[in-house]
Amino acid sequence: METISRPVVVKRMPERMNLKQARKFWKEVQPFLNSDRPQVVFDMSQVRHLDAAGIDMLLDCMREAVKRDGDLKLAALSAQSAVVLELTRTGRLFEIYETSTAAVKSFSCFLPNALRQLEPQVSQGAVPIFAPQTTITNDDGSGESIAA
Amino acid sequence: MDLRAIVLVAGMGGEDAPGERIAGVPIAYLDALGLPVLQRVLRRLRQFGICTATVISDVPDVTTPFSRRAQADPRVRHIATDGDELWDQAEDVFQQYAAEGADLVVALRLGPYAELDYEEMIQHHLDRHCVTSMAVDPQNACLDVFVLSPEGRFDARELFRSHLHRMRRKCEPFTVRGYVNHLQGAGDLRRLVVDGLMAHNAVRPEGVEIKPGVFLGYGARIHRKARVVAPAFIGARAKIHAQALITRGSVLEHHAEVDCGTVVENSTLLPFTRLGAGLDVMHSVVGFRCLAHLARNVELEITDAKLVDMVPLSPVSRLAGSTAALFAFLPKQIYRGFRALSHREEPAVDPECAELRAAPQDTSELEAPASVESSEFPSNLAVVRRYGDD
Repeated sequence: METISRPVVVKRMPERMNLKQARKFWKEVQPFLNSDRPQVVFDMSQVRHLDAAGIDMLLDCMREAVKRDGDLKLAALSAQSAVVLELTRTGRLFEIYETSTAAVKSFSCFLPNALRQLEPQVSQGAVPIFAPQTTITNDDGSGESIAA
Repeated sequence: MDLRAIVLVAGMGGEDAPGERIAGVPIAYLDALGLPVLQRVLRRLRQFGICTATVISDVPDVTTPFSRRAQADPRVRHIATDGDELWDQAEDVFQQYAAEGADLVVALRLGPYAELDYEEMIQHHLDRHCVTSMAVDPQNACLDVFVLSPEGRFDARELFRSHLHRMRRKCEPFTVRGYVNHLQGAGDLRRLVVDGLMAHNAVRPEGVEIKPGVFLGYGARIHRKARVVAPAFIGARAKIHAQALITRGSVLEHHAEVDCGTVVENSTLLPFTRLGAGLDVMHSVVGFRCLAHLARNVELEITDAKLVDMVPLSPVSRLAGSTAALFAFLPKQIYRGFRALSHREEPAVDPECAELRAAPQDTSELEAPASVESSEFPSNLAVVRRYGDD
C-alpha cells in the first residue's frame, strides 16, 4: 500500500521581524498551519532583526502546528537570528537545519516509502508520490515548487 | 627630567582605526574591570613619573556620558576635536611642550593597550640618540607609542601629519616585553578583562574580593538567590536579580543590571546595560543596545527593550525610576493578593458531580481498610530516611 506524502511548505521570513511584521507574517502562514498535519519550514536566511514579538510568533506557529499533529522546522538561520534564538533560549525548541532542502528532506526521512530510493515524480500538475511536494513562498505571496 | 605625554583617542572608525569601538564608543573610553582603559593608561604613565598629559580625542557628543567618566582626572588636560584637526592639535600640543622646556614627550594612541616599561623605553631612546623612538610588540607590530625629543620638531610634524604611520628618521624600535592587547574590537576587550581576572596583566578589578575570584564594586547588589561563580567581576552599583547566574569569567561593569533567571556566561556587560529576564547570554559583549557575539563573530543591534535595554544615564532619571517602581510595588502586591484570594474560592459544584460524590461506592473488591490504630498517625512522629551508612 502506497502512502501519499503530505506537502511541505517552505516560507521565507522577512528581513525585519518586529511586532508589525510578525502580525503580517502570522496572517500569511495561518492558512498553512490550519491545514491537517501541517509541515512547515521557515527559511530564516534573510532575517536581520528579530525581536521578542518575532519569537512569540514563532512559538505561536509551533503551537498551532503541533496542535494539528504537524511540525515546524527552521532552516538557514542567519547569524543574527541564531544569536537571538540562543539569547532567548528558544533555539532548543525547534529543529534547525542548515538549508531549506535539508529541512524538507527531514520530513520524509521517517516515512516507510522514503527508503525505496525512488526518483521523485514531479511533473506539471502531478502530485509527487514518494517525495513531499514543497512550496517556497516569498513575502509577496509568489511561490515556487521544489522536490525534496 | 621633565616628561610629558600626549594621548590620542582616535577610534571613531576612520581609516586610522577601522575597529577599536563598540557601538560607536571608542574602547579607550569603556570600562575594563571597573575603570576605563584611558584611565588605566594615564595611571600607568603617572607610575613612571609622567604626570603632565594632554588627552586629545575626536569623540562625538553621543559618547559624552561615557567619555566624561574617563576624563574625570583634573590633572589631565582634555581637548575634544573633530576629525583631522586631531593631528593638528597633537602637533600644537607638542610645540607647546617643547617651548615649555619638556625633556621628552611620549605620544601614544589608544588604540592598543600595552603594559610597557616607560623607563626602559626612554633609556633605549637616550642610549641610541634617537629623535623619535617607536614601540613594537614581539611580532614587530607597531603599538602607536612613541618617544619624541623636543628638538625634533620636524620629525614630530611628519609623524603626526602621517597619522603616526611615517617617521622622518628611522631608529631601532623598542620591543615591548610586557602584556600587549591591540584592542581592535569586542573580542579583544573581552580578552583584556579575562586576562585581568586571571592576573595575567596589570588590569586589576576595581572592587573588593568578597570570595576567591569574585570582585564586587561599590554599591553592587546581588540577590541572595542569584549565583555568582568565580572568576567574576560585579561593577559599582550593578544589580543582579533572583535566580540569575553569572559564570565563566563574566564581567558586569558599573550600573549593569541582570534580570531574574538570566544566565551570563563568559560575557561582558558594558556600563548601563540592562538584560531582560530569562535570557542566555554566552560568549558576548553586550552594551548600548548592541550584542557582539564572539563565537559567531557577529554584532547586532537589539531594539527590543525586553531583551537588552539601557539603564538611564542620569542619576535623577534612575532615582525617579526607582521611586516609581517602589510606589507601583504596593498596589501590585495588593492586587495580586486579591487575585490569589479569588482563585482560592470554592469552585461551583456541578450537580452531576455532587450526585456521584454522594453515591455510595462499592468497596467490596478493595482490600480491607487499615485498622483504626494504624490510621491514626501520631503527630509527634518524625520520619527519618536512611542514606548509606548514616
